[in-house]
Amino acid sequence: MSKHIERVQPGEKIFDWLLLLLSIGILFEAFRIDGGLKLNSAGSFPVGLGLVMLASSLAILFSHRYKRRAEHLHHAAEEFQAFIRDHFKPYIVVFSVAAILYLAAIVWFSFYLSTAVFLAAMFIFLRRGKIISSLIITALAIGAIYALFTLVFRVYLP
Amino acid sequence: MSDSLSYLLMAWLDPSLLGLTALGVLGGIYIGAIPGLSVTMAVSILISFTFSWDINNALALMVGIYVGGVYGGSRTAILLNIPGAPSAVTTAFDGYPLAQRGEAGKAIGLSTIMSVIGGIMGTVVLAGTAPYLSDLSLQFAPRDYFLIAVLGLLLVSSLSGKSLARGIFAVALGATIGLVGMDPVTAQPRLTMGSMELMGGISYVAVMIGLFGVAEALYQLHNLAKVPVKQNVNKIVPPLNMILKFLPLSMRASLIGVIVGALPGTGGDIASLFAYDHAKRSVKNPSRPFGEGAYEGLVAPETANNAAVGGAYVPMLTLGMPGDAVTAVIIGALVIHGLNPGPMLMIETPYIFWFTVGNLALANIFLLIFGLTGIKIFSKIVEVPKSILIPLIVVLCVVGAYSINSNMMDVYWMLGFGILGYWLKVFGFQMGPIILGVILGPMLDESYRQAMSSVGDQGGQFLLSLFTNPLSLILSSVTILVLLSNTPLKGWVLARFKRQ
Repeated sequence: MSKHIERVQPGEKIFDWLLLLLSIGILFEAFRIDGGLKLNSAGSFPVGLGLVMLASSLAILFSHRYKRRAEHLHHAAEEFQAFIRDHFKPYIVVFSVAAILYLAAIVWFSFYLSTAVFLAAMFIFLRRGKIISSLIITALAIGAIYALFTLVFRVYLP
Repeated sequence: MSDSLSYLLMAWLDPSLLGLTALGVLGGIYIGAIPGLSVTMAVSILISFTFSWDINNALALMVGIYVGGVYGGSRTAILLNIPGAPSAVTTAFDGYPLAQRGEAGKAIGLSTIMSVIGGIMGTVVLAGTAPYLSDLSLQFAPRDYFLIAVLGLLLVSSLSGKSLARGIFAVALGATIGLVGMDPVTAQPRLTMGSMELMGGISYVAVMIGLFGVAEALYQLHNLAKVPVKQNVNKIVPPLNMILKFLPLSMRASLIGVIVGALPGTGGDIASLFAYDHAKRSVKNPSRPFGEGAYEGLVAPETANNAAVGGAYVPMLTLGMPGDAVTAVIIGALVIHGLNPGPMLMIETPYIFWFTVGNLALANIFLLIFGLTGIKIFSKIVEVPKSILIPLIVVLCVVGAYSINSNMMDVYWMLGFGILGYWLKVFGFQMGPIILGVILGPMLDESYRQAMSSVGDQGGQFLLSLFTNPLSLILSSVTILVLLSNTPLKGWVLARFKRQ
């Protein structure tokens, strides 16, 4: 009878170690609130939460002890490659960078202009061409955003 | 009494409230149905657009979206085997096989009727129990609130995600985010890392939009290549004898839905799982084997997930504790509008309660109308490709995060939490527990400190008080049981019982 082996995703262990570091950081910050451990003060509950996070992140790491990486991944370098392949696909990277640039552009230029450029660029990129229909969809989207947020909801736009 | 009745009927008689509820239900059906969009995402974004509105208008739209969205997920589950919402996962088990047999229309019709029955049942239970529970909750001591919040967070940790440890981590992370800023009692900065920017705390609307909007948009980029499947649907109104045949099962499933929905931190997804399991155990001769197109497998989860909506409102309106992620977001909306969700809501602003009850009932009527019509347009709209949807979600998130305080910092927080949420999602963490933690964290802190003060800051006395008062004893026992049931001890005890 073959024993069922649980698998970890590429990068999962590293991520869980980062969570442990985050827990330690939060615990450290929580201790700094009162400068020590007190039962009823501004820092007591954050310390408690920090301890819970520390304990649960240790439990998560402990749960990895019987888990193995996927069968086709033989060593750490291959796992790293698989991680990059899975999560840094070109369209994910391009979209993320474009989203960050879009946020920066909102501050530098106007909201409508940067939104129009972002939407048009992303529609064309994610739909692999189809320029005319992408531009039409962008125009419709901008019109809908204007009608909805400026005329109906009357919210402040960036 | 007459006041309560007028509040109850307010949404039915005011044309603008009527229109907003209808719009909400219609929008909710599509939001719930389109994979990649979620009700929680929509309601989170809506808070920032509606915070300047009259509270009744804002609530009417949110209630409509909530009711429509819980149902909407079932349509794509039946037609495409893609549950539009987590509460529709079990619907796909028998709904999709029915569509493959050419009975998609009948399945959609039946799921609509059963959702409405569940929704009405949930509303009736809300109206019948919440006032009494609210009176009872006025007797609760701070330690009882502390225990209820701990229990709720523990339940959501154990019922969601890959493991209890991950659930607890997510809840604690959320609670930590909720505590950032000045301490409300001593004005000491907490977890601010010396930054002045963080003294005012992190806007939970930005956190919600980041976790449910941006994170989801980034995650959906992985499914960009999936091509929507085209479906044909025929007549969808089911015959009366079919409805009557499944009525007893739908009543039982409604009860399960309301009870599970009322447990803090659970919701429609867990309610539908419980109801499906109940149907499998209790129906001896299903129309077909479960998993192969049994109508019973469609009726039970669809009734339960909509009944859970009314159930989720019970702890929210009486204790100020969210029943699920959507009610957690709605609590945020009530607070922004200057209301105080919890036992005082029924005393200070009873009209909100009766308005919500009337509005939920009205939303279910609209659900019946929209659920049984417009199916042809619907099947076209859900085919919107993700390459169009994802950039639009990002723009909506930016507008939503900015408009709440007109502050770009909130937009940057939203993006930061979106990226964190993406990685958490990739590695099996759920977003719901984080949001519940954000909402319940400050409340837990407050009730813990009040409870400690009431026993003179004596740790031993505090622990003793958790077991010496009848209500606290019950809550402590349930909390310990829930905790132990998620440890290896449960298996050991069960094995001992089996041996004996």
